[in-house]
Amino acid sequence: MAKDERFDVVIIGGGPNGMASAAYLAKSGLSVCVLEERTESGGACETQEPIPGVRIYPHAMLMYASAAPGFEQLELHKFGFRMEWDPVSPLEMNQGGLACRDGWRQITETDQIGWAKIGGMLGQPPFTRELMRAAFYCPPHPPEVEVTDENTPYMQVYKKHQPDIWTPELRDMTMFDLMDEHLETEHFKTAMAFAAWASGAAGHWEGVAIPAALCVQLLTLPSMGRTSIPRGGLHGYFHAILRAAVHHGATLRTSCPVEEILVEDGRAVGVRLRDTAVTGGRTIHANKAVIAACDVHQAFLDMVGPRHLDPAVIQKLKDISLKNQTLYVSTFHTKTPIRFNETFATNAHHTKYVGPHRQPAAGVFPCDSRELYYACVADVDGHKAQPRVPVEDVMWFQTPSQAFDPTDCQGEYPRGYISSAFEMAVTSPDYHLEGEDALLGYKSDMDRYMRDAYSQVYDGLDDDNVIHHWSATGREVEFRNTGLIGGTWCGSRHDEDQLWTNRPIPELSRYRSPIEGLYHAHQTSGHPGGLCLMAIPYNLMHILIEDGVADPGDWWYASPYYMPQEGKIPANRR
Amino acid sequence: MTDFKYESRFEYDANNPFGHMQEEFPDESEFDVTIIGGGPNGLIAAAYLARAGLRVALCERRFEVGGGLSTEENLFPCYSSNPHVLYHMMVDYMPAIRDFDLNAQALTWIKPNAQTGMVFEDGSSVLLAQQTNDTKDSISKFSFADAQTYGKVVRDWKRIVKDILGPATYLPPMPPIETTIAMERTALGRKMLEIGEATPLEIINETFEHEKVRTLMLYASCMWGLDPRESGLGFMVPLLLDRTVNKCYCYGGSHKFAGALAREVVKGGGLILEAAAVDKILLENGRAAGVQLAHEGRVLRSKVVMSTLDPETTFLDLVGREHLPSQLTEDVEGWAWDKWSFNTLHIATDEPPHYACDDPWIDKSFATVVGIESVDQLLAHWDNVIDGKLDLNSFGGHSTCESLFDPTLSDQPGKYVSMYQIHAPYDLEGGWLNRRAEVEAAMLANWRKAAPNINPDTIISTSMEDPEEIQIRFPQMRRGSIKHGDYTPLQMGCFRPNQDCSETNTPIEGLYTCGASTFPGGLVLGGPGYLGANKVADDLGVKRWWKPTPEMERYIKDYLEE
Ligand SMILES: Cc1cc2nc3c(=O)[nH]c(=O)nc-3n(C[C@H](O)[C@H](O)[C@H](O)COP(=O)(O)OP(=O)(O)OC[C@H]3O[C@@H](n4cnc5c(N)ncnc54)[C@H](O)[C@@H]3O)c2cc1C
Ligand SMILES: Cc1cc2nc3c(=O)[nH]c(=O)nc-3n(C[C@H](O)[C@H](O)[C@H](O)COP(=O)(O)OP(=O)(O)OC[C@H]3O[C@@H](n4cnc5c(N)ncnc54)[C@H](O)[C@@H]3O)c2cc1C
Repeated sequence: MAKDERFDVVIIGGGPNGMASAAYLAKSGLSVCVLEERTESGGACETQEPIPGVRIYPHAMLMYASAAPGFEQLELHKFGFRMEWDPVSPLEMNQGGLACRDGWRQITETDQIGWAKIGGMLGQPPFTRELMRAAFYCPPHPPEVEVTDENTPYMQVYKKHQPDIWTPELRDMTMFDLMDEHLETEHFKTAMAFAAWASGAAGHWEGVAIPAALCVQLLTLPSMGRTSIPRGGLHGYFHAILRAAVHHGATLRTSCPVEEILVEDGRAVGVRLRDTAVTGGRTIHANKAVIAACDVHQAFLDMVGPRHLDPAVIQKLKDISLKNQTLYVSTFHTKTPIRFNETFATNAHHTKYVGPHRQPAAGVFPCDSRELYYACVADVDGHKAQPRVPVEDVMWFQTPSQAFDPTDCQGEYPRGYISSAFEMAVTSPDYHLEGEDALLGYKSDMDRYMRDAYSQVYDGLDDDNVIHHWSATGREVEFRNTGLIGGTWCGSRHDEDQLWTNRPIPELSRYRSPIEGLYHAHQTSGHPGGLCLMAIPYNLMHILIEDGVADPGDWWYASPYYMPQEGKIPANRR
Repeated sequence: MTDFKYESRFEYDANNPFGHMQEEFPDESEFDVTIIGGGPNGLIAAAYLARAGLRVALCERRFEVGGGLSTEENLFPCYSSNPHVLYHMMVDYMPAIRDFDLNAQALTWIKPNAQTGMVFEDGSSVLLAQQTNDTKDSISKFSFADAQTYGKVVRDWKRIVKDILGPATYLPPMPPIETTIAMERTALGRKMLEIGEATPLEIINETFEHEKVRTLMLYASCMWGLDPRESGLGFMVPLLLDRTVNKCYCYGGSHKFAGALAREVVKGGGLILEAAAVDKILLENGRAAGVQLAHEGRVLRSKVVMSTLDPETTFLDLVGREHLPSQLTEDVEGWAWDKWSFNTLHIATDEPPHYACDDPWIDKSFATVVGIESVDQLLAHWDNVIDGKLDLNSFGGHSTCESLFDPTLSDQPGKYVSMYQIHAPYDLEGGWLNRRAEVEAAMLANWRKAAPNINPDTIISTSMEDPEEIQIRFPQMRRGSIKHGDYTPLQMGCFRPNQDCSETNTPIEGLYTCGASTFPGGLVLGGPGYLGANKVADDLGVKRWWKPTPEMERYIKDYLEE
């Protein structure tokens, strides 16, 4: 290997955010090096084949990114991006109703219309993409700008297109408040609030009604990709991003964990690798910028360290709340296919089993009332220990990923049946009252608890029928992929104190840091947080243009809601 | 830019709630070359041709390129291993590694001195090391004469590999008669011809006298599928023994090699599609015109189609019998699959295996053979396997603790991943599904006999891949054929896969075959893909940007030039 290496930009972490940043910057003509700790890049966009012919998606599964400018700007279709579209329209899916303890309960027309309205579907023309772009694809406003109803991007969009959603209270509301205003049934509201909680912004948090609702909308709205998955899973989508980056000249080094960010005279000048790196513990220099696309705690507390940061900032960094729950993902390999039990096999729609193995997909259960939701939240986020909620009350969801990929080799898997993923929220390891290793000790208890919970809806999860139960505790997830601190899917809460101009803390809100030349671009650190949206990289580009680091070509366009920082190069000059 | 022809039909329509928001890879597109299969050979062919300026598309059925070059979290969660390729045998000869400068760019090869050990029930052991005198030291425990012989033959064998077999791997095959004429030119060549006549068993028995030394030598010569009693491929014994002491481990896992090659494809402007199974090779006027993808119906047109799959899949399934000349159909139908497959047990443990034997180096060895005591027992084991049987009281295989060389495989700090692999039949008597548990238990017991610390107290998890599962993972490895087809004199050299196709072009114009079933064959030799790229570049009139390696040039000068 060459001795001394030098690039314009060094990016720490090859997850979707690091890699899309690399693609943007390489396409802008910069020399870029991505350093990834694991042997495979992709971060939480991964696919595993634990036994031959069986694919599981340990983390990200569903496509939320449809509105991203990145598809067009990076021309992902030229790098093989393909999507498997859900053949069932979600309106039709909705007819199936929601799973409650007494069986399916119908979603009403008022629910559907209200929900569609929040998502911009009822505008003339529908403004869903514009809304999503406003909410997610715009960098937070500069510190000198006061955030108001008038300049908040999503508020601008509603005001223009759907004035009856726009109210002066909208920015203060919880998602429940919003839903109480526009929707009808308790089970629909409960299901949506739960989905929002599991997506990073909970249904009962003040001030994030719209971000919370829109995270779920990204999933449920028809034109948003209809809970589709890309061919090859989200790892396939990631590959298109990776290949765009490599094609434009970015260098990727896997098995290269970064140990330290080198700071000279208050400026980030490169990184030093850990001794176990494939290249050994060498130094890689950065002429223009270092971008930390790994978790914010590790980046600032370990890689930069107290030598270069003042104690007040260090304290704030330590206090970034990663107290969100962890998603405990289970995938089952069974001898006979799992089937809805008597209570749930009644609905004609739901017995049209989906996917190559004609498997059922339950959605969220039990959605009876928001009291169940409150009990789960209090248990996981409040008690911070093993579940106390009786197994019949615990809420969970099942993704319908199997429905979408007939190329999936397991469609023809000859040795049994593979379920789609079941997910349950549990306390994150870092905040577990019994210590961060507690989840490991409880693994078999939890596996049992989860199976009992799922068995309220399904037959076939008994010991006789289950061949494998793949699950990973939040602690194991942390070991597997250090980007997923806490094992959560969004890293830190998408709440008012940690979103938009406050994410992760106001000092770091525009992807800059107190260290000149050091930027951050990880789900834990930047607006809009988690999910594989290609949003952080797009937003970051505005800042790198402002700082004169990047100067992209004609393919670039800035967010229409972007506000340039005084004294900087405006990113929307074209 | 990734450069291919297509017509964009995408337009974003805000009014259509079911419309797509983003453009996708087109339904119809046009390339110069499409390649089927993203294993080492497909990747190598694609990387060379893309850099040569051709518009290349590579279609891979799985979600990840690499084929046999895979690293998977098969002990999910937290423990990965290399389910297939673990031992990289040709790192020092493979042109692709040099031509793309992969060692400077991306890869680090670990080449332990202690390469392959064998431990016996009585606590004794033999060790083949990279450094000849270390091997001689180990052999001398049993037979000083054998140690001396080893020192001598290995010098010749190394030279045969360096001057002849290594470079010849990357040049088109020659008919036997031409090979003979070429070899007659030098003393070394004549020596090689002599060995060629004998069977591996004869070569080993004639060369070495001690049973234990013979047992290990025979294992190392035939573990990849040479028939110990068949003559005609004797020249492969020196090759395989030399390679046995020169194996490399790819740090970070074998998939890193695939990743590095894939990046070269893309850097050169090539396109890679994953989750893209080809179900049809398109023909127009009798010549190959592109491929069609299963499930999604996308069509990629091209002047040239290169298949890296086995002959049956390429010709009978993808082209179709009705389009084949009858001789070709006959050849394809006569193709012999590997005589045995592998059954592999992966385990995660708290400690690395500690072998109870007389040589501490065995614990550090790249591979360790356990369970085999004598030549006869080894032959009986192989005979059983060919008969569809496993004698669970008498069998053996090779094991490796991958974590010794690669801490990245275990996400849990301080834990270890190892594997134990045995030769096994595809059609196991009683069926794999019924007998898996029994076989796994027997393998653990057998391993534990040699390494007592591999026991329930230290084992965290296990995962076994049986021969049927090899075919489930990779349908082109039919009947678990790790090399896409057996090594027999009639399936090697210019007969691989048959005389019409061994130079990678086929009787169907525009269709090329360049996977493990084409000369020089299976394992990660990087030969078929490289030869395919050479041929296609020449046929399409594209200038080769690469030159033969210095070893190849010397060989051409000494053996081939007028
Ligand atoms: C269970 C689960 C389900 C999810 N489901 C979905 C879904 O359906 N759809 C969706 O869009 N999103 C989903 N997500 C969220 C999504 O996966 C993440 O938001 C996304 O992966 C974050 O990307 P990132 O690049 O910021 O970070 P990561 O994906 O965490 O990547 C960070 C990278 O940095 C590397 N790294 C860490 N430390 C170092 C170091 N010291 N040196 C070098 N490299 C380092 C890591 O190995 C990792 O590759 C899910 C997440 C989880 C956990
Ligand atoms: C258990 C085991 C252990 C092994 N150990 C070693 C080792 O240690 N060292 C070594 O050198 N070799 C080893 N091998 C052998 C080695 O893996 C193969 O010989 C080698 O990978 C062959 O390379 P290839 O590129 O020709 O084909 P492959 O690696 O077989 O790749 C073919 C590719 O084509 C894809 N494909 C299949 N059908 C289609 C389709 N219809 N459309 C598109 N794509 C398709 C497959 O998914 C695959 O990726 C081992 C094999 C096995 C099974």
